[in-house]
Amino acid sequence: MSAVVSPPMPARHTRSRLLELLSSTDHKDIGMMYLGYSVIMAIVGGSLAGLLRLQLSSADAHFLRPEVYNQYMSMHGTLMVFFVMIPAVTGFGNYFVPLLIGARDMAFPRINAFSFWLLVPAAGLAFAAFFVQGGTMAAGWTAYQPLASKQFSGTPGVDMWILAIQLGSLASILGAINFIVTIHNMRAPGMSMLKMPMFVWTWEVNAVILLIASPVLAGALLMAFLDRHLGTGFFQPAMGGDPLLYQHLFWFYSHPAVYIMILPGFGIISQVVPAFSGKKLFGYKGMVFATAGIGFIGFTVWGHHMFTSGMSNTLRLIFAFMSMLIAIPTGIKVFSWLATMWGGKIRFTTAMMFAMGFVSLFVMGGISGILLANVPVDVQMQDTYFVVGHLHYVLFGGSLMSLIAGTFFWFPKMSGRMMSEKLGKWTFWLAYIGMNVTFLPMHWLGIMGMPRRVYTYRPEFEPLNRIESYGYLLILAAATLFVINLIRSLRKGEIAGADPWNVESVQKTFEWRISSPPPKENFETLPVLSES
Amino acid sequence: MRITYSNYPSVDRMRTAVMAGLLLLATQSVFADAPITNWLQNPATPLAEAVRADFWDNFYLTLPFLLIPQILLVLVIWKFRGSRGHEAATWHENTKLEIVWTAIPALTLVLVAIPAYSVLMKMDVPPRSDLVVEVIGHQFFWEYRYPRYGVDISSEALVVPENKVVTINATSVDVIHAWWVPAFGVKQDANPGRISHAWFKAKGGRYKGQCAELCGTLHGQMLIDVNVVPQEEFNAWLKSRMPADTASVSEPDSSARKL
Repeated sequence: MSAVVSPPMPARHTRSRLLELLSSTDHKDIGMMYLGYSVIMAIVGGSLAGLLRLQLSSADAHFLRPEVYNQYMSMHGTLMVFFVMIPAVTGFGNYFVPLLIGARDMAFPRINAFSFWLLVPAAGLAFAAFFVQGGTMAAGWTAYQPLASKQFSGTPGVDMWILAIQLGSLASILGAINFIVTIHNMRAPGMSMLKMPMFVWTWEVNAVILLIASPVLAGALLMAFLDRHLGTGFFQPAMGGDPLLYQHLFWFYSHPAVYIMILPGFGIISQVVPAFSGKKLFGYKGMVFATAGIGFIGFTVWGHHMFTSGMSNTLRLIFAFMSMLIAIPTGIKVFSWLATMWGGKIRFTTAMMFAMGFVSLFVMGGISGILLANVPVDVQMQDTYFVVGHLHYVLFGGSLMSLIAGTFFWFPKMSGRMMSEKLGKWTFWLAYIGMNVTFLPMHWLGIMGMPRRVYTYRPEFEPLNRIESYGYLLILAAATLFVINLIRSLRKGEIAGADPWNVESVQKTFEWRISSPPPKENFETLPVLSES
Repeated sequence: MRITYSNYPSVDRMRTAVMAGLLLLATQSVFADAPITNWLQNPATPLAEAVRADFWDNFYLTLPFLLIPQILLVLVIWKFRGSRGHEAATWHENTKLEIVWTAIPALTLVLVAIPAYSVLMKMDVPPRSDLVVEVIGHQFFWEYRYPRYGVDISSEALVVPENKVVTINATSVDVIHAWWVPAFGVKQDANPGRISHAWFKAKGGRYKGQCAELCGTLHGQMLIDVNVVPQEEFNAWLKSRMPADTASVSEPDSSARKL
């Protein structure tokens, strides 16, 4: 800290600063807005989850009517995927990819701002849809056809939902192009592709996935929209269409979307773990190829969401083997993080605790994922609470834990102030325990025979459901502490220097060499990556 | 600015305790009430038994990969905590190690895939069928047709003979449903405009299941009951349900398919 002469005053949230933020094309401002957006959406999405858990806390609760339950359940998934996770990883990407490669901004700053601002009407549509007659999407975030067709979901809320997701897809496509161009053209001299920090690599792969997958989702939803209003019948069997076509298109996007939500998290973990182990990232090249491998194989596994649909056995075999294959690069990553810690000098900061918690929980999601790739077993798990448990280990235990690790790690850089470590550690333990209490029993419920997406269940499933609902309270406490920590630290946190974590020189990326928060245009003179 | 780094008890011990407690509660809830039937606890068909065997194969083969990272984390927390005052190592590459942790999981996956393949073939290719039942999903009930006998029932238990190969032809008149009876190891989507197939050969008993694909408002109440009864009882039941004009003609039994 002593090396820093005069830490600049952190940005005050005055009215003029707000106006500046709203009209900004600076990648840091846009990154912050993405992250703020995602926190607000997470509060809504998390509250919906609370209402669902309240309804499910007893076998015949009458707290939510079934049609309301289905809407909340659908919107919980929709918000968490499209309005929380994807904006959050994009926010970190926006803020830190240019800093880590030594650039002054993204390649297309205005398109960058446009991408973000598309999400605002998207959220407006998604929320307004709750209040139109008939409510919003109730067919799950997957919007399977024909359940989400005009005939079975005639409410205009479904059209609004489709348009909201379309806007999100457009934002993703534009953002992906921006990231690819930025990473390929704006790296500091000396930074060849194989010298990029891992976080940048994960965003490179992520941007390619987004660019390939998002148009397919947008197309599928456009077809669904045309079915609803022009009677095109792409997915309507009575008109020669095929509901399975929708599933193929949807999962061609939505399985890679899992990697969209987790890969930048892998990148964050690959920055946090070396920083607090005092050691360089183990097996950098292996990590790069594993990331690219996950991105590539990720496009060949979508059919494992459809093992019970009645598709051909040949397809089931191919998808099963490809899905198992993806465990190999994932395993390489996990072992490399552990090898990075091994022999290091571990500092148990909140960021590091979340990173270690991430490894612990993500492995659980990975192993249950292998069971789900195994067709005969998957057929029994498909659409049960086992899958709900699995996906929350991956997306909550994996993505969210890594994003929170990233928040504690990079908050000082973004705001110029430290977050409270004491509150942070409470947050970690509550989240880690709450996560296991809520989601571990789900695996067992699924095996016992409880399907997902039900508002009521047989009495024999009640004890475990009750426990899960208590687990939600722990997660709620963790989330509350996290938000309090964010707000308090923005105003009252200790002032952070340029390198508040004293990152060892061997893994000191560019962001730690400039003030916190970084000045406009980031670097006075563009940095050069020296040979070392 | 000062950050204090404290040691904390291992995340894993906590996790094990939580797991053990939950499993205890789970088993209590299972055995307190009427027995739950599913492919893992009380498989009722050869297929469900095969699924269970495949599950345990897979579970034990992959369990080490769940435990090893947790154990390594505990060791790291203990051995390399900063408060011990040692210096961090500087190595960050080891090709042999990387080959090992690529090759061993790959081999394990081959071992997982082999039984998966054989069970999948068993699922997909039914033996010769003794009885064909058409399963038709409706919002929000099941209709069952016994096409050979002109019997058509709705919103009640499916009745089939025990230890006979029953083939399911599933479809739907509205949205996608999924016919799922956990004890049979059978789950099959019922798609509108398509017919999909499944089969089972069940031990006698009463089995529960329910729709496993979100099908609308009352999806959670679209339950399935199956009564698997001795052949004579099945014949009697079938006769009582047959339309009057056909009841005297057809003689439902297992030899009927040979005609």
